Amino acid sequence: MVSVINTVDTSHEDMIHDAQMDYYGTRLATCSSDRTVKIFDVRNGGQILVADLRGHEGPVWQVAWAHPMFGNILASCSYDRKVIIWKEENGSWDKMYEYTGHESSVNSVCWGPYDFGLILACGSSDGAISLLTFTGDQQWDIKKISNAHTIGCNAVSWAPAVVPGSLIDQPSGQKPNYVKRFVSGGCDNLVKLWKEEDGQWKEDQKLEAHSDWVRDVGWAPSIGLPTSTIASCSQDGRVFIWTCDDPAGNTWTAKLLHKFNDVVWHVSWSITGNILAVSGGDNKVTLWKESMDGQWACISDVSKGQGAVSTITDTQQNEQ
Amino acid sequence: MEEVDVEPAVTNIPAVGDKKHMGFAWGPGDILVYETLYQPPGPSGSVFPFIHEVRKDEDIYSPILRKLFNESHHIFVGLQTIKEDLPSKSKKPQFVSISKNYRSVIRACMEELQQVAISTNDAQVATQYGNQVSILLAIELIWNLCEVLFIDAAPAGSLLLHLLDWVRLHKADVYEKAREVLHSENPAEHPDYWDVVVSYVLQGKLEEVRQMLVKQATQQPAARGMYNLMDTLLSKMPYYNPGGTQTLTEFDVKWRHWHDEVDRCVQDNSFASNQHLELICKILLGSEDTLLQCKDLLSNWYHFLVTRLLFGHPTVKPTELHYFAQSSINMFLDSRTAPEPLDSILLAAFEFDIHQVIKDCSIALNNWWFVAHLTDLLDHCKLLQSHNLHFGSNLREFLLLEYASGLFTHHSLWQLAVDYFDHCPEFGRVYLELQIERVPLETERKALKVLRICEQRQMSEQVRSVCKIMAMRALRNNRLGSALSWSIRAKDAAFATLISEKFLQDYCARGTFSDLDLIDNLGPSMLLSDRLTFLGKYREFHKLYGEKRFTEAAKLLLSLMTAKIAPRSFWMTLLTDALPLLEQKEAIFSAEQTYELMFCLGELTSSLNTAAPGTDRSMQEEDLEVTKVELLRLALARNLAMAIVKEGTVDT
Repeated sequence: MVSVINTVDTSHEDMIHDAQMDYYGTRLATCSSDRTVKIFDVRNGGQILVADLRGHEGPVWQVAWAHPMFGNILASCSYDRKVIIWKEENGSWDKMYEYTGHESSVNSVCWGPYDFGLILACGSSDGAISLLTFTGDQQWDIKKISNAHTIGCNAVSWAPAVVPGSLIDQPSGQKPNYVKRFVSGGCDNLVKLWKEEDGQWKEDQKLEAHSDWVRDVGWAPSIGLPTSTIASCSQDGRVFIWTCDDPAGNTWTAKLLHKFNDVVWHVSWSITGNILAVSGGDNKVTLWKESMDGQWACISDVSKGQGAVSTITDTQQNEQ
Repeated sequence: MEEVDVEPAVTNIPAVGDKKHMGFAWGPGDILVYETLYQPPGPSGSVFPFIHEVRKDEDIYSPILRKLFNESHHIFVGLQTIKEDLPSKSKKPQFVSISKNYRSVIRACMEELQQVAISTNDAQVATQYGNQVSILLAIELIWNLCEVLFIDAAPAGSLLLHLLDWVRLHKADVYEKAREVLHSENPAEHPDYWDVVVSYVLQGKLEEVRQMLVKQATQQPAARGMYNLMDTLLSKMPYYNPGGTQTLTEFDVKWRHWHDEVDRCVQDNSFASNQHLELICKILLGSEDTLLQCKDLLSNWYHFLVTRLLFGHPTVKPTELHYFAQSSINMFLDSRTAPEPLDSILLAAFEFDIHQVIKDCSIALNNWWFVAHLTDLLDHCKLLQSHNLHFGSNLREFLLLEYASGLFTHHSLWQLAVDYFDHCPEFGRVYLELQIERVPLETERKALKVLRICEQRQMSEQVRSVCKIMAMRALRNNRLGSALSWSIRAKDAAFATLISEKFLQDYCARGTFSDLDLIDNLGPSMLLSDRLTFLGKYREFHKLYGEKRFTEAAKLLLSLMTAKIAPRSFWMTLLTDALPLLEQKEAIFSAEQTYELMFCLGELTSSLNTAAPGTDRSMQEEDLEVTKVELLRLALARNLAMAIVKEGTVDT
């Protein structure tokens, strides 16, 4: 069954651009064109406004929760070129850090795996990607990849902190040597992979398949196989699934998930990486699952309806 | 139930504007959807500020189904412990009994749902529970058939008896009707009398038929002979007895003999004067046309199938079933009615196509519980081995992972899911690792529970993560002791240093330590960070001092400075702590130790002097510091004198 179990009235005065549940699904952060970021306590189906964060001077595009081991920390990015990191201290939310290093709208923020500490990747319309690392004592170390994507970077997404195949090859108890990697998508129609080497960020791979701006990218969680998986979507209406079985990470193959009739704006993996959600210009969110024979099938479809909420049983699985 | 192999289902979300998009995000279990506009800023028109939480597997949250999940979990775990090396012959009865256990859990749950559906005043709840009942009914029906055909795998002869039981169990409304008739004033006159009699015949309950007919016979003395003849036919119908000595061939001969006798009665028009008895006689003969006249009483094609076999082919072999099933469905359903998903599933079972059964069930029934548990059981019966999947995991694991992932989103059922993940050799562990970090650690108790699960499975990364989260939370709530012990568990040196520092600051401010128990029992974990070591050792000094073990205390205090364990910022406090020792009547620090203390003081004051300009300490503080240093110098000098005298005295 797929059904609407709760509806939160955010009272945003303008368009909502992003909503993110915290790690445990107990708090919801939202952001809007009304320049605010709001945090709601949604435990047990409730909706209590916990914070109304004001600080941005333009539409706020995205919010991202940091891992709870760092405390309650939220990052937001905006058309006003700023990235703000908010922190809850003694029950109240305040600015922890404000980053103003971009020359144009900041479109995407994404926290790295907690194994690397507090590290935030930010993609901007100025074509650059910034990496903000917390070094303690209110200090943030800034690294900037200039001209990462010509005309602009639309999305960033971190790779899980595992060496692909590590769960198979690694002797137990020994901490593998993690490499920091993330993927980005931009207005140069490219999907790019970045890797940190000796403290410097380097372009690792350039994946070409889209024929128009890449709107979103998502690196799938690792499920222990020596395979890395990335989903990308574009204005060209296509969603690609990129996989790499090669331990060195050099050979990526693309598989077309689906060609939509309209722009595809957003892709995102479920926690265990077994379902990919896609949303596009067709006003729908579709859920895709890899069946047991390796084919991708649409298993559910969340569409805009009129009037009352209707509940429709979904097909749970499609093996064909 | 839904049709099989359909387009993905659509869930509609209320929204307004035409040119808007649907935004979404994954929660741990649910999906959030909202109206948005992905295009660059511009006039966005009317705004719809709602965020909808959309959930799959809503069944997980049904309070009554929770019992199903809990109890089947026990059965599941029990099944996993059945020894692999037992000979399959002795395992079969175990599997059958496990299958029956699962079914009885379904039945219990169904009955409870039915009760609630009847007693509630809320029409919506009644419908919802009513739907769940019909789904569970279908599940039990399919499961029971799978048990007969696949798990018990009864051979010809017994097969029909099992199928008969299956039909009787799922067509139990006859008994209720019968009770009603029998309890009426004059049963023979009751309008439902003949329906009950014929229904009993169709189910092969011939003893009951005879008892019912007696009531009719006594009222019609003229027809006594005819009733007697029918009674003889009914009583003589042979049944196969799998436990007996009779072979199947012998049974077959006997049955044919009886069948010929029934046939003769039909030919002789023995019952022509009583339409009811004639109908019964033709049923006994196995006339398909007659059976089809009883469609209403049979109510479905599989009942028709079993009755048809009972009176026409009682020695049917498992391999012949699919032929009879297919023809029964064709005869029973008129050509205009398309078979429903349930029909296709049962047909696939009769065809012994296990994979088709599981596949169709996954699609048609909206819960993973059934397919996951049934597939697991069939896999243990070694019935699925031929089917290796390209997906990397086998069918059993694929379905168990789906089911357990659903459970994991529930605030208490997640603990059951852990056992399911444990029994998925390929991906179970990674799924557990990814999911367990999403369990909200609202209380210390829950955190310990999660931690125990992780520790038992050597999930060191997750253990670290949980401990760090708890340490951070304790620190934010100013519970230093708890924060320290969590960071020690997390083996987080940096955090332990931070907290040790807080402890020391606390001590400097208040002159006492909190959480003494913890600090006293640090043991080897003290070595996690330098600052923690210092904290532990410093506390040890206080303990020795308190116990008046001055010599040991003095030695330890000195070593804290000389071995550079103590941070420089803390030296003044340490030296101040040395004062009372220096002022004891007896010299506690030896001459050599006193020299070392003097050296430490010298080093400290010289560094203080160089750092002095620009520091914003008040005059008062400065004065205090100077007085302290002077006091120390004096005490050191005195002690040195005492020590030299003492050491000189001992020498001579």
